[in-house]
Amino acid sequence: MKLKAFRIENFRSVADTGMQNISPDNITCLIGQNESGKTSILESLKVFSSGIISEDVLRSDLSLPRVTCRFEVAEGFLDDRLRNVNDSFDKLAGSLNEITLVRSWKADLKSQMEIGGELRDYINDLDSKRKKDLGETEKKIRDFCSLLNEKRIGKETLSASLKEISTKIDSHPARGGTLNIFKKKGSVVKDKEDNTLEELKKAYNSLKEQSEKINSFLNSNDVLIGAIEEWSETIDMLDQTETKLEEISGRLEERHQTMTLLSGPSIDDLSRGEWEKVLNEFSVAVSRKEELGSEKDLKTLYCGYILEGVDEESARQKLDSAGEKRQLEYTTRELGELLSKDCPHFEIFEDFGSLLPNRIDLEDIIADNRSVEGYKAARNFLTIAELDYTFFQQPSSRILKQKIENLNSKLTLDFQDFWQQYVGKHNKIRINFELDHYSTTHGDKAGKPYLEFWVKDEGERLYPKQRSRGVRWFLSFYLELMAASKNEKKHLVLLVDEPGVSLHARAQEDVLKVFEDIKENIQVIYTTHSPHLVDINKLHRVLAVQRDDVENHRSTTVILDAARLGDASPDTLSPLQSIMGNPVGNQEFSVDKYNIIVNNVGTFYMMNAAMKLTGYKGKIHFIPSTDSSSIPLMCNILMGWGMKFAVLLFYNDDELEAARKLRDIVFTDKPGDEENIVVMPEEFKNAEDLLSTLDFKNLILKSREGITISNSEYVSINDLPRNFLLSKFLSDVKLKEVRREDLDEESKENLMLLVNILQKFN
Amino acid sequence: MNKDRGDFESVLFTQAMDEHLSSLRYASMIQRALMPDTSFLSGILKDHFIFYSPKDYVSGDFYYAYQNAGYTIIAAGDCTGHGVPGALLSILGISFLNEILQVRVVPRANRILNRMREKVMGALDQRGQEYEQKDSIDIALCVYEPFRSVIQYAGANRPLVMVSDGALKEIKPDKMPIGVAPLEEVSFTNHRIDVKEGDRFYMFSDGFPDQFGEETNKKFKIKNFRKLISYVSGWSMDKQKAHFENTFIEWKGSSSQVDDVLVMGFEI
Repeated sequence: MKLKAFRIENFRSVADTGMQNISPDNITCLIGQNESGKTSILESLKVFSSGIISEDVLRSDLSLPRVTCRFEVAEGFLDDRLRNVNDSFDKLAGSLNEITLVRSWKADLKSQMEIGGELRDYINDLDSKRKKDLGETEKKIRDFCSLLNEKRIGKETLSASLKEISTKIDSHPARGGTLNIFKKKGSVVKDKEDNTLEELKKAYNSLKEQSEKINSFLNSNDVLIGAIEEWSETIDMLDQTETKLEEISGRLEERHQTMTLLSGPSIDDLSRGEWEKVLNEFSVAVSRKEELGSEKDLKTLYCGYILEGVDEESARQKLDSAGEKRQLEYTTRELGELLSKDCPHFEIFEDFGSLLPNRIDLEDIIADNRSVEGYKAARNFLTIAELDYTFFQQPSSRILKQKIENLNSKLTLDFQDFWQQYVGKHNKIRINFELDHYSTTHGDKAGKPYLEFWVKDEGERLYPKQRSRGVRWFLSFYLELMAASKNEKKHLVLLVDEPGVSLHARAQEDVLKVFEDIKENIQVIYTTHSPHLVDINKLHRVLAVQRDDVENHRSTTVILDAARLGDASPDTLSPLQSIMGNPVGNQEFSVDKYNIIVNNVGTFYMMNAAMKLTGYKGKIHFIPSTDSSSIPLMCNILMGWGMKFAVLLFYNDDELEAARKLRDIVFTDKPGDEENIVVMPEEFKNAEDLLSTLDFKNLILKSREGITISNSEYVSINDLPRNFLLSKFLSDVKLKEVRREDLDEESKENLMLLVNILQKFN
Repeated sequence: MNKDRGDFESVLFTQAMDEHLSSLRYASMIQRALMPDTSFLSGILKDHFIFYSPKDYVSGDFYYAYQNAGYTIIAAGDCTGHGVPGALLSILGISFLNEILQVRVVPRANRILNRMREKVMGALDQRGQEYEQKDSIDIALCVYEPFRSVIQYAGANRPLVMVSDGALKEIKPDKMPIGVAPLEEVSFTNHRIDVKEGDRFYMFSDGFPDQFGEETNKKFKIKNFRKLISYVSGWSMDKQKAHFENTFIEWKGSSSQVDDVLVMGFEI
């Protein structure tokens, strides 16, 4: 799995970076001022991997952090790891070549990993559908509950009425229930009494019938009623748990607030033990809530089946089958946790974290004694040398010493491939290790083997700790990275905060070489202020980090990718502008090719892009000047060195003026020399005019705005970052994201015109 | 009292209407003045006719001709809508064509349309956003290169019909307007057509084919329009114009005209 993009939310100064793509060639550089949030970005990526955070990363509004990473996966990756769920899920999973993982934190600062992207959408859609169905069932249950209530109230009312009528019947005179004063009643009176009794009996029977109906309703629904009672109990428990969770969350939030604002555990009014208890209660409540939620869903489902008229046993069977089906489906968390096992390990490189010790006992290395000083570096060293302890079991000390000597030479040569600095004028440092044994003066250790390390140059043989800070840093860095690139079974994303601050400019460039060397195995994301740690030909690697409001250090962090670098503040871009000011520094003149001097670095990018797009293989080599005023000087230098060169100029005031000067000052000796000054036709005011307006918009600006002036005028009037735009264009061409067939016929024709012009220098 | 007041308002309304109509009549004259007159067209084309019938006083349809450095550029445009908004857009279209052709430019039909689209998008501030106005111009544009006996054609939703040796051929346009495209703007296609003396070409707005007939209550349709061209293409241009006009009037009958109408024919 390879990291492709990240998004950080609510982490220190970062509110939301949005999804940020990292460089496809595995080296990503974060530039920006101090306090812009660069280190926070590295740390947030580290905690994506570890999941461990403390209160100090929380923002003042206490929103909880979330880090999202998108990874590229190989074809069939998900097929291999996921069980078959159903056709649509399996098809979706099989079609994906990217997965998104989201780590989010809860109020107790514990985290969970969930799947994101299309798989999450799929699962959420299913959940929504399920919730909708459950919601509808719940509504039916509640409707039934209302009906049940009505029936129960009706039953009570009926019982009371029945009782009342029954009493009346019992005491009715017609039944002789009362004192009969007269021996004989008159027939009219008797008839009347009989009638009343009959009415009472009728009413009684009618009520009795209604009551029996209700009883029958209740009896026939006794299973459902029982199920609903259990369902209601679960809902009550869920409500109670949620209330409790809210209360604990509130307490945790208060604590975070106190810890964030005042910092330090001393202000804590609860002892550590009590806090542990609160955290534990939170954790229990969260689990209980989830448990009750699932229980409630199952009970809802069961009630639903019964409501539909399914008998008890079949309902249980249906429930079991739904449960089994559900069991087969992934939750976002389950999928997140499963796939995170394969996700790269994110490691922050710690300065001097693996500094070579002067000496370490072989016994400590074999016993994996990590607490011993220098253990990590010694282990790294042996990893790079591809040695394990069996190497030292060689019985012949002569052979062993010879092997060690050979290894030292090899390691030194490998190291010198990266560290190209000299000590003095000619001496390069060499790294050495030796195997020796303690003498009898070392008590218990006497006779035991140890390794001793040296960093030597021709003049001196010094222990690592005796070397300069820069050498120590680079050595530590070299050991760590090289060992990691050999060691890691899992893909590694290495996060490096300001590498090589104590290094000389040239040595900083050596750091870049190490990154280049390991990039196949390790993705590197590093922060820097140094222009020497930014490859000007690879601006697509740069992400500019700055505050939303550059004047306000309390504002949130924003990230601008290469396409938006033009929006970054001048201070943020200072490392880049330092390089832009000195582009020739990295460009060597070519002795076997025609050196074509162009006005500036933007034109240089465009010319190189044009050559790649046209597939031109002529022996020409472009050299950027810093501006048109420097062109005569460059010509004089090249002339002095006897190199073949020409000047390619565009039809703008500065370059036309340069052409005039060149004719007047430089190319005066030999007639015909001035043929080496080529001025492009009038319609090409600058290099970007080689593209049609449409291609310029689509391929460089990536905008659809109507442009009614030439491309170069548009760049100039709108103060666009020309160098950045053209560098990105060159990078797109190199990455084949822009190809010749993407150009319209106008651009193609213009580029062929350029090629025809350059033909004469072949 | 009330009656007097009613009369007074009626007088005011009539006066306002008269003023509006007078303005529109004047605007119509200006619009016509921006389009090439017959004598200019006769000078640059062997023969031609224009059947131009706005729905209202002013029209969203326009025709255009320009000659420079041996190239002859002829176009027939149809702006979205009709009446005043269409007319204003047509004036923009004419101005943009003038601007494009008056500066040094490689005379390629598609590049002219590409540039014109930039100008329309720029003027209407179109950036491909959902909420913005989608006004645009459909146009057929030809660049005649007499020294090469070639006609270049590029079309934005409007075709070019060619009749050579009695055979009718329709060159299909690109299905996008001069204005913001639904998805993304791509270059218009440049068609190069070898031509010979006597070939006849027709460009037209959709007003004629889309006109509902009085009797049928159906559109005239492009198929019938092609048949009509084929039928008249051998006639003199004057006779063709008269026939187009008469056919349109007859077809329309007393039903109202649905859109501006423009049919332009020329012979090289």
